[in-house]
Amino acid sequence: MNFLPLVVALLCLVATTSAQASNRHGADLDDNDFAEFEEFDEEEPSAGDAGVKDADGDDNAAFEEAAPVHDTEAADDDEAMVEDEDEFEYLNDEEEFEGFDKDSKPINKGGKPEKTPDLKITNIPGHLRTNWDSFYLEMLMLAGLGVYFLNFLAGKTKNHKIAQAWLAAHKGLLEEHFTIVGDDGSTKEVQQGVLMKESEHLYSLWCSGRTLCDGMLIEMKLLKRQDLIQTISRIFKPALDQIVIKVVMDENAMAPFVMALGLKKTIAKVHRELNDLSIFCKDQKQGKNYGLPEKYRVLSEINDTTMSVIDQKVQCAIQKFDGIVDYMHFSDQFSGPKVSTEDGEATKMPDTKKVLIFSFNLTDKIVNNPEEMKGLQELLKMVFHCVDKMKRVSLTQDGKMKSMKNRKAVEEQFSKMTHLQRAEAAQLRREEKRREDKERMMNEDDPEKQRKWEERTERRDKKKSQSKMKMMKVKAM
Amino acid sequence: MHANNSQDPRRPEKVQRYKPPPSGGPMEDPTPDYMNLLGMIFSMCGLLLKMKWCAWTAVYCSFISFANSRSSEDTKQMLSSFMLSISAVVMSYLQNPQPMPLPF
Repeated sequence: MNFLPLVVALLCLVATTSAQASNRHGADLDDNDFAEFEEFDEEEPSAGDAGVKDADGDDNAAFEEAAPVHDTEAADDDEAMVEDEDEFEYLNDEEEFEGFDKDSKPINKGGKPEKTPDLKITNIPGHLRTNWDSFYLEMLMLAGLGVYFLNFLAGKTKNHKIAQAWLAAHKGLLEEHFTIVGDDGSTKEVQQGVLMKESEHLYSLWCSGRTLCDGMLIEMKLLKRQDLIQTISRIFKPALDQIVIKVVMDENAMAPFVMALGLKKTIAKVHRELNDLSIFCKDQKQGKNYGLPEKYRVLSEINDTTMSVIDQKVQCAIQKFDGIVDYMHFSDQFSGPKVSTEDGEATKMPDTKKVLIFSFNLTDKIVNNPEEMKGLQELLKMVFHCVDKMKRVSLTQDGKMKSMKNRKAVEEQFSKMTHLQRAEAAQLRREEKRREDKERMMNEDDPEKQRKWEERTERRDKKKSQSKMKMMKVKAM
Repeated sequence: MHANNSQDPRRPEKVQRYKPPPSGGPMEDPTPDYMNLLGMIFSMCGLLLKMKWCAWTAVYCSFISFANSRSSEDTKQMLSSFMLSISAVVMSYLQNPQPMPLPF
C-alpha cells in the first residue's frame, strides 16, 4: 500500500525522460512543425535541404549548432549551390549517363568540411633555397682569387719600380761607357733607353758599342713578387733580387783561361751546372788565399792568371760589398749550362764564347733605398775595370802550355765520345745508299742490266768476305 | 776605381744589335708551362668528373701561369687556359648548384 505513490512517481519520471530522449536537440515540439524530422536531417544532411531551409529564413537551432564555423560562408554560397545543382541535375540522370558519377568522388554537399587527408609536406632541399651562407667555400675561393690578383698588381708595380730605380742610378755611368744603352733589337733603327721586360720579374738591358767587348747584357732577376705562392714560400726559404751582368768579349781581347769566384753555396752550384767550370776547373779553393773574405771560394784553371785577375781593386770591392757580390765568372770557353740530350751525350761540340759574368745580390736595404742603389755604381765600375784588365792579362809560358793542353784534351775526349755515334751514322748512310741502288735496279726494264748489276754486287760481297777471312788468318798466325 | 778616365771607351762603329736568346733554353723558368698543363688536367677533371674543387684549382693554376708567363709567350694559349678553367667552374655549378662539399 505504501508503494503506490512511489510507483506513480517513478512512472512519471520514466515518461518525462523518454520524451526528452526522443527530442535530443531540445526542439520545441509544440512550435516547430518540422521538429520531428530533425533526426533524419541529422543523418542525411544535404546542401539542398539546408539551403532551402536557410533560404526560407528558418532559424534552425540544430543546424546552427552542427555547423557554426561555416555559417556565414554557407549563407553566401547556398543560393549559388542551389542553382548549380539545378543546372547540372541532368548529369545525375542514370538513363542519360550510365555510370557517369560512380567513380567520381561524392560532392561535398552541405558545405560541411570533410576530413582533410594527411598531407605530408616535405622539406625543400637545401640547394633550392638561396642561402648564401652555405656557399662559404666558394666565397673563400673567390676571396683567394681577389687577394692573388691584388698581390699580382702590387708585386708587379714594385718590381717595375726596383728595375727603374736601378736604371736611373746607373744610366749616367752606362752612357759614359757605351754608345747605345737599352736597345731591344726589334726595330730597324737602333733604339736607346729601352728596358726590356721579359716577364713581371725579369728585366733586361742591352748595351753595346764599347772597346774590348761586343756588348753587355744586364739581366735583373727580381723576386717573383707578383706571384702570391712564391711570396708565401719566401717566408720559409728567403731569396734575394739579383743583377746579372754578362759581358761578351771581343775574340782577341781575352786570354784563354777559365776562373770563377763567389759565395761558397753559389760556387758549388755553378761548378756542378756549368759546362766550362766543371770541365776546366778541378777543385774549389779557399778565398782567403786570394785575399777575399772567408765565405768566398775560388775555382781556377791557371792559378797565376787567377791571382793577377783578383787584384787589389777587385779585392777591395768584394770586401766592401761582402755578400752582395754573389759570383764572378770569367771564361773563354763559356757554353752555358750542361745540356742533357735524349742520348745523354751531345753530338757536336758546343759553341763557346768569351764572357765575363758578374752576379750581384740586392738586399732589402738596397732595394728600398735609392741612395744605397746609387752606391752600387762602384760595382759597375769594378765590372768595367775587369773588362779593361782582360786586355792586360796574359798567360805565362807554363800557363799557355797548360791552357792549350786542357783544351786539346777536351776536344779529344769529345771526339772519342762521339766516335761511335759517327761510325753508326756512317753505317746507316751506307745502308741507305745500297737500298736506293737496289730499288733503282729493280725498277729497271732491261733484264740484262739487272743481271749485270747482281753479278757485280755479288762479286763485291765475295771480295769483302774474302778480305775479312785473310785478315783473320793473319791474326790467327 | 774608374776604369778609363783618360780615353773615351765608346766605339760607335762596334755597335751590335740585341739578339734575343733562343726560347726553350735550359735556364728558362718552367713554372708557367707546368701550371698550364696542370690547369688543363684539372679543368678536364672538373668538366668530366664534375669535381668542383678541381675546377677551382684549374682557375688558380691559370692565374699562376699568367703571373709567371714571359711577355714573349703566346697570349692565345693563356686565354684558352683561362676560358677552359672558368667554363669548368660554370659547367659544374650549372649541373649541380649545390655548394662545394668540404674535401675531408
